[in-house]
Amino acid sequence: MKLEIGNFYVKDVVFGDSTSYQDGILTLNKQEALQVVREDEHITDADIVLAKPGDPIRITPVKEAIEPRCKVSGGTLFPGVLNKLVPAGSGRTHALKGTSVLAVGKYWGGFQDGLIDMSGPGANQTQFSSLINICLVADTDEEFERNEQQKKNKALRWAGMRLAEYIGNCVKSQEPEELEVYELPPLNQREAKVTELPGVVYVMQLQSQMIESGHNALFYGWDSNRMVPTLIHPNELLDGAVISGSFMPCSSKISTYQHANNPTIKNLLKEHGKTINFLGVILSNLNVKLEEKTRSAMQVRQIATSLGAQGAIVCEEGYGNPDADFIAVINELEDAGIKTVGITNECTGRDGRSQSLVDLSDKADAIVSTGNVSQLLKLPPMEIVIGSLIALARDGNSGGWEGSVKEDGSIEMENNGFFCSDANTGAHYKTVIEY
Amino acid sequence: MKKAVHYINQFFGQIGGEDKADYAPTIHVGVIGPGMLLKNTVAPEIEVTHTIICGDNFFGSNEETAIETIIGYLKGVEFDLFIAGPAFLAGRYGFACAKICKAVEEHFGVPVVTSMHVENPAVEMFRKDLYIFEGGDSAGAMRKDVPALAKFLKKLANGEPLKSAREEGYFPRGIRFEAFTNELGADRVVKMLLKKLNGEAFITEMPMPKVDRVDIAPTVDLRDATIAFVNSGGIVPVGNPDRIQSASATKWGKYSIAGQDSLKGGEWQTIHAGFDPSFANENPNVIVPLDVLREYEQEGRVGKIHEYVYSTVGTGTTQADASRMGAEIAQQLRDANVSAVILTST
Amino acid sequence: MVKEIERAGITIVQMANLVSIAKTVGANRIVPTVSIPHPLGDPNLSPADERKMRKYRVGVALQALETGVEEATIFEVKY
Repeated sequence: MKLEIGNFYVKDVVFGDSTSYQDGILTLNKQEALQVVREDEHITDADIVLAKPGDPIRITPVKEAIEPRCKVSGGTLFPGVLNKLVPAGSGRTHALKGTSVLAVGKYWGGFQDGLIDMSGPGANQTQFSSLINICLVADTDEEFERNEQQKKNKALRWAGMRLAEYIGNCVKSQEPEELEVYELPPLNQREAKVTELPGVVYVMQLQSQMIESGHNALFYGWDSNRMVPTLIHPNELLDGAVISGSFMPCSSKISTYQHANNPTIKNLLKEHGKTINFLGVILSNLNVKLEEKTRSAMQVRQIATSLGAQGAIVCEEGYGNPDADFIAVINELEDAGIKTVGITNECTGRDGRSQSLVDLSDKADAIVSTGNVSQLLKLPPMEIVIGSLIALARDGNSGGWEGSVKEDGSIEMENNGFFCSDANTGAHYKTVIEY
Repeated sequence: MKKAVHYINQFFGQIGGEDKADYAPTIHVGVIGPGMLLKNTVAPEIEVTHTIICGDNFFGSNEETAIETIIGYLKGVEFDLFIAGPAFLAGRYGFACAKICKAVEEHFGVPVVTSMHVENPAVEMFRKDLYIFEGGDSAGAMRKDVPALAKFLKKLANGEPLKSAREEGYFPRGIRFEAFTNELGADRVVKMLLKKLNGEAFITEMPMPKVDRVDIAPTVDLRDATIAFVNSGGIVPVGNPDRIQSASATKWGKYSIAGQDSLKGGEWQTIHAGFDPSFANENPNVIVPLDVLREYEQEGRVGKIHEYVYSTVGTGTTQADASRMGAEIAQQLRDANVSAVILTST
Repeated sequence: MVKEIERAGITIVQMANLVSIAKTVGANRIVPTVSIPHPLGDPNLSPADERKMRKYRVGVALQALETGVEEATIFEVKY
């Protein structure tokens, strides 16, 4: 399977008469863009606002981030979700780099939403402060979940996808500034000098805790709670086969943007043929029931062993009870003689003294830590708020509480409520150290 | 410029050896013995203005008096930092250093620092509470241990950002917080994998802690026993009268179930934010199974159900708060002669 | 919390879903529950069957309180 990703490096985004890209400038026709957003009648109110790195802007509640892209050949964007169900991961995809569409609630937040500061002491907390964010700020008629702490946010997220595709389409017929080529042949078509290298699998544990549909991460539109682990091609992850969900504490969440830009997978593809034989990606999940955790861990081990893996990286999209799955998979792989490294975040409590993960194992001796959900942040007021600041305190945000928003606009919150800040795909510069 | 006070024992204070270990604490202006090296290495940002000398045996046998006396001396002194030792491998000296540091910090709220060898028994006991620097095993290490302390003290004096425990040189205190690196997580994880695959040494970013196990409690003869319910699933009377937090809880509540055959939906609710509450709200017995335990009570299987249920929320709660709440609840249970508990967690 | 109650000498059984975690953090008597949102409930069963399951599992918990153990022990449930 060969995938070409053609990159266009956006230096600035402006509103103008026609949605187009030229010499680093992305121009958006706001009216046309909003028409695409409002194709879904459930969207009752919508606007598009730009937030650029260094701006005195705070954005919340952010529900999703999607990179503006289009499929030039070889498939569709968001197959099985927004567009026709066909395989992802081959042909040519064009991507507008340095920018992201954000789906932001105009009024209503929830447990699962996040916050981004584009400047100031909170900027470094998440990678999204370094992107030009095209914020879709909207309200919907989804009364049924208006007062729910856990929201599906379907209208907003799907509108975000439509908007991202609409914008991405403007570079469909242009020559990209840079071409990334990812080609990983079937196992039986690899040269001896490659197959002699240690075989490595990447295990992605998707968040899938909710029983009701509409919340969990989706694999080609299929609810990840209702699957057992399976083998997929890394190109599929890089090309939009997985859509992020809507329910979990935000700092641990892997947004759709981050799935398609997974730098750990890109590193493994770079090392393929040099230091490792990259066998593939095992897509797994993080269900709640103990039996389901056991079943998934067993399957991950079975697939890894059948492929002849000697090494593995395990990525956990979450903290808390999913730590049990993380540890279970590491235990299974290590018991099978597979050298395993984990990458995840921790929850050490406000005082920093609680144990990092909820479950422990001596076999988990190689872990990269990406952040601490309990990290307390006190941030100054921001001149401009995109969205609704009070949602942080009022709507049950995982990192906020009743007193989180002060009268002067300054905030106190836990990293837990920051937007995709821990980036367990390895996309950010945080770690956790002992003092 | 900041001011510091130095604490040393009778030997380093040039009073005498073992024969003078009963020396009662005294305070002196200026530095004595190793204080000179300390004074030179922390200058010019810090001035060591006073020295306290106390015999190791005096401190060990009269801890309360020793601390009271020393705190008393310090009340008359203006100071910003407090240093004790280095104590190397000397056990009594190490204890005294750690204890006096703790007391000074509690009383005056100033940063306190000490130093001793990793095998000094005081390290295991106090490393979580204090900055204990890793020192040598004898006075011969003085020339290394004091400058290491001095470097850190200057950082504290200047309000500089502190690095991790290992980088600064003190024993990790078990406090883990975020820090920024200049290497992407994706690069760190692949590097770690390659090292592990090749049998090369690597350092995990998340060491696994050792578990502290509790002595197993004896079996209970339930027919005579009073049994109580405790839960971390947030089961409270509707309206959450004690305002227990839905996450990161620091409070627990006790609620009467006297005369109730079961918990009725509409009278009780769950406030736990970590899962779908609809089941528990409709039938609270799925978390606190009062309905079936009442049956066992009527059948004589258990002596009596305690009249209160104890509840808190278990998501995001720190271990420290959970332990404190557990101890507080345990006290109430003991006072009520409860000898058996069913604890439901979610 | 389990450890603190046991430390005070009160015999305690923990009913939890993630029994591996309960074992790791130091509970000595452990009984598995059905799930996290409904530890002793099961929406797939009729109310009568659900109550029967609940009574059975609480019964296992009572047995655990009456059983001497040498190390952290998970008491198995059949349904």
